[in-house]
Amino acid sequence: MKDESRLDLPQGTLDLLILKAVSIGPMHGWAISERIRDVSRAALQIPQGSLYPALHRLERRGWISAEWGASDNNRRAKYYQLTRSGRNQLQLETDAWRSLTTAVSLVLDMG
Amino acid sequence: MLRDWLSDTWSDMRYRFRALFHRGAVEQELEDELQFHLHQQAAKLEAGGMGHDEAMRRARIAFGGLDRIKDDTRDVSGVSWIEIIGQDLRYALRGLRARPVFTASVVLTLGLGIGANVAMFGIVDQLLLRIPPYLRDAERVHRVYLTYTNRGEDITESTTEFTRYLDFGRYSKSAEALALFAERRFAIGAGEDARELPVGVVSASFWGFFDAPPAAGRYFTTREDTIPEGAPVVVLSYAYWQAQYGGSPDVIGRSIQIGPMPLTIIGVTPPGFVGLADEGTPVAFIPSTLYAYGVSQQRRGRINYYTTYNWGWLSVLVRRKPGVSVAAASADLTNAYRLSWELERAISPLPPADSARPRAAAEPVVLERGPNASPVARIAAWIAGVAAIVLLIACANVANLLLARALFRRREIALRIALGASRARLLTQALTESLLLGALGGVAGVAAAQWGGAVLRAMFLAEPGDASVVRDGRTLAFAGIAAVVVGMLVGLVPALQAGRSALAASLKIGSREGTYQRSRARTLLLVLQGALSVVLLVGAGLFVRSLHNVRAVDLGFDVDPVLLVMPNLRGLQLPPAERAELARRLVTEARSMPEVESAARGISVPFWNNEGLGFVVPGVDSVGKLGRFYVQMASADFFRTMGTRIVRGRPITEVDRADGQLVAVVSEGMAAAVWPGQDAIGKCIQIISSRTQPAPDPCHIVVGIAENIRQNSLTEDQKLQWYIPIEQRRAEEAGVFVRTRGNASAHAEAIRRRLQRLMPGAGYVTVMPMREVMDPRHRSWQLGATMFVVFGGLALLLAAVGLYSVIAYAVAQRTQEIGVRIALGARSRDVLGMVLGQGLRYALIGIAIGGVVALWMSRWVGPLLFSVSAKDPAVYAIVSGVLLGTAILASMVPALRAARVDPNVALRAE
Repeated sequence: MKDESRLDLPQGTLDLLILKAVSIGPMHGWAISERIRDVSRAALQIPQGSLYPALHRLERRGWISAEWGASDNNRRAKYYQLTRSGRNQLQLETDAWRSLTTAVSLVLDMG
Repeated sequence: MLRDWLSDTWSDMRYRFRALFHRGAVEQELEDELQFHLHQQAAKLEAGGMGHDEAMRRARIAFGGLDRIKDDTRDVSGVSWIEIIGQDLRYALRGLRARPVFTASVVLTLGLGIGANVAMFGIVDQLLLRIPPYLRDAERVHRVYLTYTNRGEDITESTTEFTRYLDFGRYSKSAEALALFAERRFAIGAGEDARELPVGVVSASFWGFFDAPPAAGRYFTTREDTIPEGAPVVVLSYAYWQAQYGGSPDVIGRSIQIGPMPLTIIGVTPPGFVGLADEGTPVAFIPSTLYAYGVSQQRRGRINYYTTYNWGWLSVLVRRKPGVSVAAASADLTNAYRLSWELERAISPLPPADSARPRAAAEPVVLERGPNASPVARIAAWIAGVAAIVLLIACANVANLLLARALFRRREIALRIALGASRARLLTQALTESLLLGALGGVAGVAAAQWGGAVLRAMFLAEPGDASVVRDGRTLAFAGIAAVVVGMLVGLVPALQAGRSALAASLKIGSREGTYQRSRARTLLLVLQGALSVVLLVGAGLFVRSLHNVRAVDLGFDVDPVLLVMPNLRGLQLPPAERAELARRLVTEARSMPEVESAARGISVPFWNNEGLGFVVPGVDSVGKLGRFYVQMASADFFRTMGTRIVRGRPITEVDRADGQLVAVVSEGMAAAVWPGQDAIGKCIQIISSRTQPAPDPCHIVVGIAENIRQNSLTEDQKLQWYIPIEQRRAEEAGVFVRTRGNASAHAEAIRRRLQRLMPGAGYVTVMPMREVMDPRHRSWQLGATMFVVFGGLALLLAAVGLYSVIAYAVAQRTQEIGVRIALGARSRDVLGMVLGQGLRYALIGIAIGGVVALWMSRWVGPLLFSVSAKDPAVYAIVSGVLLGTAILASMVPALRAARVDPNVALRAE
C-alpha cells in the first residue's frame, strides 16, 4: 500500500535534508520530520525507522550536537543543532547535490 | 582540516565512550526521545479531532517497531564490536571458571614459562641491553679498549694510564669529547659505621656525556679537575643524598669524609643517575685529578701520574664526531695509541710498536657487551634462551590441553555452526579464550618473576639492588608482549581446528575413532617437548659436572672457614714499627675470640693479588727460566689458618723473628723444580733486594715443604710458591687471615666490630669471607648448573604432563577398541605393553631429535664448561635414561587404566 505521491530518497540525501533542517535552528526529531514533510509539500516523508539512526549517526560524526530541552508543550525533548564541521559538511553536500542535479537535468534536457 | 579531523574524532570517541560506559543513561535517552516523537505525533492527530487512545494507536502503527528502531540506532552508535568482545570475554571467563583445575594448570604452566622469561629478560636487559641512564647521543659514545701483542698473545684491556688519556686527547682527531672514569671503594663515615662504598672517579668532561642536570648544586668543572691536584669537592648521588641527608638542599657546601679526604659537597646527581656503574652504583663522584694526586702522594715513590705510564687505573670514554664511522674512529684512536706508545717507549723499556702492534677500538659502553665481557653475561644470554625454550614447551603443553578440549567440544562447536554461528565468530571466540589465558599467565608470570627474580638477580648481578619487576617499565612491557604472543601461539592450533571442524562428521554419533586420528598435531607437539627437554637436560648435566669438577679442584687451602681482615689507616701516617705492632695486636685480639680457631698474617690473598720477589739459588742457573714464582710473607700459624698442609719439615712459627735465622718454606712444586732429585730442606734461597746491589741478601734456609696451592687460576697449574716469615721482611704489612669455627660468613660482622676497636684515628677494618673471593670464580658454573637444572627439571615436568595427557586421552578415546581387543583374548599385559610402547616411542623420537640438537650446539657450550666435554657420553646416557624413565612413569597410569578396561562396560558404552 505504497503512497504514490511520496518519493523514495536517493541514498545519502537523508543526511543532507537533516543537516539542512537543523541549520535553521535547534530542532527535535519530530519537528525535523514534520519540517521536511511540510516544506516538500508532503512529497518527502522520512520513516522514523531511518530518521533516528541517521540522527545518531550524524551526532556521532560530530556534524550535529544534541541537547535536552523543554518543548513547546513543556515536555523533555532532545534538540539537535548544526556544529561548525556540520556546517562545512552541509555546504559540501549542498554543492555536490546542486552540481549533480544540474548535470542530470542537462542530460535529461538534451536534444 | 586537521582541526576538523580532530574535532570529528573527538566527538566520535566521546559518543562511543558514552554509549559504552553510560549504557543505561543512553538507553533511557533513546527511549525518551522516541516516546517524545510518539506523543508529538499523537498530539498532532488529536488536534485533528481524533480521540486520545486512537491517536496513540495510529501514531504507534505509523512509527513501526519501536525495538527495531532502537536496534538500528544502537548499531549506528558503533559499540557492537566492543560488546561482542565483552560477550566473548564473559563466555571465555565462564568456560574457564567452570573448569578450575584445567584453568589453574594452564595459568600455572604459562605463569612459570612467562615468569622465567620475564625474570631473565630483566637480567639480560640490565647486563647487556640497557644503556646507562641519561647518556647523551648514546649511539656515538664508546668505551675505548686497548690491545697489544705480548709474546704472540693479544692482551685487551679497558683500563689505562692518565698520561695515555691525555695522549688520546692530544692525538685523536675523531673524538668530539673524551672523558675518563673509574670506580673505587672508599670508606665513607666514621668509626664502627665506616663503610666502603663505590665512588666514581671522573674527569670534569664526564658530565658532558650526559643530559643530566644536577638535582641540586652543580657538577665540578675543568677548573676543579686540574693537574696536578684537583679541588677537594664531591658530587653526591641522589640515592645517597636521600638516604643520608633526607634530600635536604642545605648539604651543598657541607663537608663529608671520603677515604682520607674531607671533601666539600657541591652538587647532587638527578635520580637514577649512576654514571656507568661498572662495579656497583657509585654513591658519589670526585674529580679524577684529586684522586690521582692522592694516590701519588700515598705511594712514597711519588709516581707522576700525568707524565709516566706505570699506573693504569682508568677507562676512557669517547664520543665520535658526527659523521665519523666506528671503524674510522677506531683507526684514529689506534693511530693516537701508536703515537702514545712511542712516547712511553722513550721513557720505559717497551717493545717497538711494530712488534707489539698497539691498537685501540671504540666498543660498546656497556662493559658486558665489550671484548672483555664476563662469562656471566654470556651465560645469562644462554639462560635467557633456555627460558624461551621452557616457554615454548609450556606453550606446547597448553596448546595440547586446549586442543584436547577442542576435540571434546567438537560436537558443541558443530552444533553452534549448525545454528548459524560464523567461523570467524568461533575463531575470535577461541582466540579470546587463549588470549585471556595468556593474560592470566602473564599476571602469574610477573608474580613469579617478582619472587623468583630476586633470587636470579642476586645470582647474576654483582649488585642486584632493589629493582623490582613490577616497578620496571621495560620488563613489564616485555611481560605484556610475552603474554599476548603466548596467547596467540597457544590459541592458534585449537582455533584453526575449530575453524576446520567438519560439520557432518562431528554431528554423527560415534565419531570418536575419527577424532582420535586427528591428533597428529598433538603428537608433534609432544615429540618437540621431549626433544627440547633433552637439550636442556644435557645442558644441565654438563654444567653440573663442570661445577662438580670446579669444586673438586684441590686448591691447597680451605675457603669456607677463612676470613680476610684488611685494616685501612685512611691516610693516617704511622711509622712502620707501629703498623707492625697494630697488625700483631689484631692477630692477638682475633685469637682471643671463642669463635676463632686461629689467626695469622699474610701479605697476599690467593685469587686476589700476588707478590713476586727476585731471588737466586746457589748452584742453580737462573731460576727465572723455571716459571713464575709467587711469594707469600706469613706469620706463625699461617698454614694452620689457611688449611695448607706441611708435607715435610716445619711451618713458619713464632720462633721466626726478625733477629732469628732467616728461613723459608717452599711448595712441593718449587722443591721439585728447583732441586730435582734432591732434598730441598736445608737449601738456601737468596733474595735480590735491588738490582743495583750486586751481592744478594743472606740465605733463607728452607725448613719445610708445603703442598701446592692454586694461586690465580682454577685451570692452570701454578705450583711454584714459597713462603718467608713476614717478621723477617715486611713486618709492617697488615693483612690478617682468620680461621673460624664453622662457616666464616656467620662470624664476619662480630669479628669486624671487635677488631674495629683497635683501629687508631679514623681507620677501619674490612672483613671479607674467603668464599667471596672465590665465588666469582665459581659463579659462571654455579649459575649454569643451577639454571639448567631448574629449567631442565621444569621442562621435563611439563613434558611428562604433556605425555601423560596425550596418552590418557588416547586411552580414553580407544576404550572401545581396547575392550574389543580384550574381548578377543588380549591379555592385560599386552594392553599395558601397547600403551607403554606408545609413550616410549614418543620419548625415543624425542631423545633422538634432542640428542642431535644438543650435539649440534655443543661447540658453543664447550667453552663455558670446566674440564668436561660438551659431548660427554655419560651425560647423554643419563639424560636418555631419565627421559625414558619419565616417559614410562607418565604413561604407566593410563596404561594401567587401559589394562583394567572391562570389555562388557566398554562395549556397552556406545
